Formats: sequence, C-alpha cells, structure tokens
Amino acid sequence: MKRSLLALAFLAASATTWADLPTFKVVAKDGKLIPARLDVPAGQRIKIEVANQGKTPIEFENLQLRVEKVLAPDSDSFVVLNPLRPGTYTFIDEFHPQTAKLNVVAK
Amino acid sequence: MGNTLFIIWRESAEAMLVIGILYAWLRQQPDARLGMRYLWGGVAAGIGLALMLALVMLGVIHALGGDKLEYFQFGMMVVAAGLITQMVFWMRRHGRTLKRDLENDLARNAEKANWWGLLTVVALAVGRESAETVVFLYGLGIESQSAGQWLLAVALGIALAYLTFWALQRGSRIVSWRAFFRISEALLLLLASALVIGAAEKLTNFGWLPTVIDEVWDSSRLLDDGTRFGSFVASFTGYRAHPALTPLLIYATYWIAVVGVRYLPVKTKPANA
Repeated sequence: MKRSLLALAFLAASATTWADLPTFKVVAKDGKLIPARLDVPAGQRIKIEVANQGKTPIEFENLQLRVEKVLAPDSDSFVVLNPLRPGTYTFIDEFHPQTAKLNVVAK
Repeated sequence: MGNTLFIIWRESAEAMLVIGILYAWLRQQPDARLGMRYLWGGVAAGIGLALMLALVMLGVIHALGGDKLEYFQFGMMVVAAGLITQMVFWMRRHGRTLKRDLENDLARNAEKANWWGLLTVVALAVGRESAETVVFLYGLGIESQSAGQWLLAVALGIALAYLTFWALQRGSRIVSWRAFFRISEALLLLLASALVIGAAEKLTNFGWLPTVIDEVWDSSRLLDDGTRFGSFVASFTGYRAHPALTPLLIYATYWIAVVGVRYLPVKTKPANA
C-alpha cells in the first residue's frame, strides 16, 4: 500500500504545478473580503490569491477545508484548494468574522 | 468581545491542556523539582517561539518568506505529534524504577533526553497556537477604540486560560490518580492524532501526496466541523466531517501503531499496569 501511494505521489507532484491552476483573487480590506462571492469550477484544484490591503493582520480561514492563513498588513499570499464538490464554501477573516465573508460557489 | 475571548481561549486551550496534564503528572514524580524546571523552561521557550513566529507572520522578520512558513508549521506539527506520542509512553514507565535507574549514568542521560523532549513538547504546544493569538491581539490593538478595552480583553483572555489550567488541576484531584492518568494519556494521544491528520492534510495541500478520494464521507449532519464547537473537536481529536482518503489512512495507521505498541506485552520485568 505504502509503495503505490509513494508512486502516486511522485506522479501527482510531477503532474501539477501551482502556476497552471485556475486562479481567483480576493482582497481583504476594512474588515471585509472583496468580492463577497466567487464562482469556481468544481472537481479541480484551484488557487485563491489573497491580498491584505488593510492596516491590520487577517486570518483567511475555512475550517472545513482546513484553510488557515495569517496575513500581515500590506501583504499577499495564496491558498491551493483540493478539488471541491459542487456547493458553497464560506471563507471568513477570523479576525473580523462578522463582516468579512467570502462565499466560494463551486459548480 | 465574546469572539475575542473565544479566540484567545481556544488557542490557549491546547497549551493549557498539555501544561496542565504535565504539571499534575510531575507533582506525583519523585524528581518533580527537576521536571518542573523543564516544564517552565518549555513555557518560556514557547513564548519566545510564539513571539518569533508572530513577527514572521507580521512580515517583520523576512527569514521565512511565503511557503517556507507553511513548511515550518508542517514540521512543527510532525515533531509535536511524534514527541507527544513518545512522551506518553515514557510517562507510563517513568518513576517506577527511577531510584535504581539514576544510579546508572546511562540511564541518567536517557532521562535527560526525555526531559528535553518534555520541554520541547511544551514549547511547541505554547508556541504554535500562541503565535496566532499574538498576531490577533496586535491587530485588535491597532483597531481598538480604547486601550482600556483592549487591555481588558487581554486580561480576561489570560484569566480564561488560567481557569482551564486550574480546572484540570481540580479534576486531577477529584478522580483517582489512575483514572486521571488514563484520561490524560487518551487526551494527549488524541491531540497527537489530530496533529497527524492535520499534517497529512497539509501534505495534500502542498501537492506532495494525492488525496485519492477527496471526500470519503460527509458526517456534517452528525457534527459539522465548520462550526465553532465542531472545529474545536476537530482540532483536539482529529475528527473530520469531510475527510480525504490519504489523511484518513495516515490517521488510522497512527492509531493502529499506537494501540499496538500500548498493548504489546512488556518484555522487561513485570510492573504494575
């Protein structure tokens, strides 16, 4: 079992590069996430680039998908999501949970 | 305010659990005084680690740019899981033949390594989660209308964390020592297993391991790990409402290995279970 997993891993690693993935952008500013909704393809890996344009740090998070990324003020980063089943996934800024929400709708 | 306190408490709960269990256990050991030094040393090291990580997250230190921080966090999870597991097994044996062992230099050096392992476990438990709290509080401080309100939040947060620690100590006195130790063992192993599945999921996110199946089951109706309570359970036990296959297999392998070792017959002198 372990050997075939390892082989699969090498195959997967060589087949994917983060540069080729469908990429979406979201901006965190003034305690909000902009845009509030992203439509993405289901069933494939996607990349979400997050830019923190605020003066305070944010934590871009979706617990179900195990995404937790802290971003310093005036910085950007990205997260790669494994293929999503069709549905809506809500990401928040954990430091501003009431106002900053992003709905990622996968179809 | 409520959300702030919950965040501070949740991040500190893991560290409080580890410190609380070790503190209660150490008090029962013949070499408690020595052990306590490593425990508090671990807390100090953990605070230092938290501050350093916070500075990296805030972009003040540029040593670990971009992905490197994620890899470092992955490394910390793996090391923490391994050390906690090893420590649980060491705690069962330690103290039984201590007097005899310490007269032997070899044993004394082995014990020292275990103490340093304990220090590292505490440092990692404190450091990993507190870094986020530091960053969060820093941001909160910038946004706060009044310094007084911010200080109040911090003070209440510390009080809550201490309450967790205190509750554990009380709990250790209410139940029998044996029961408390068994529960502690289980809690520590659960924590380690949660780190194992978390690290495995990071590997799939990096693209180094394939998920094979992206969602083996959907148990969100039983317990949704997206809710506050659900995510809390998830981070302390490794529960997942939508587990991917590879992390799930690694999680299962961990438990099979741990249970197997735990119930293997003791080969050396028979000792009280």
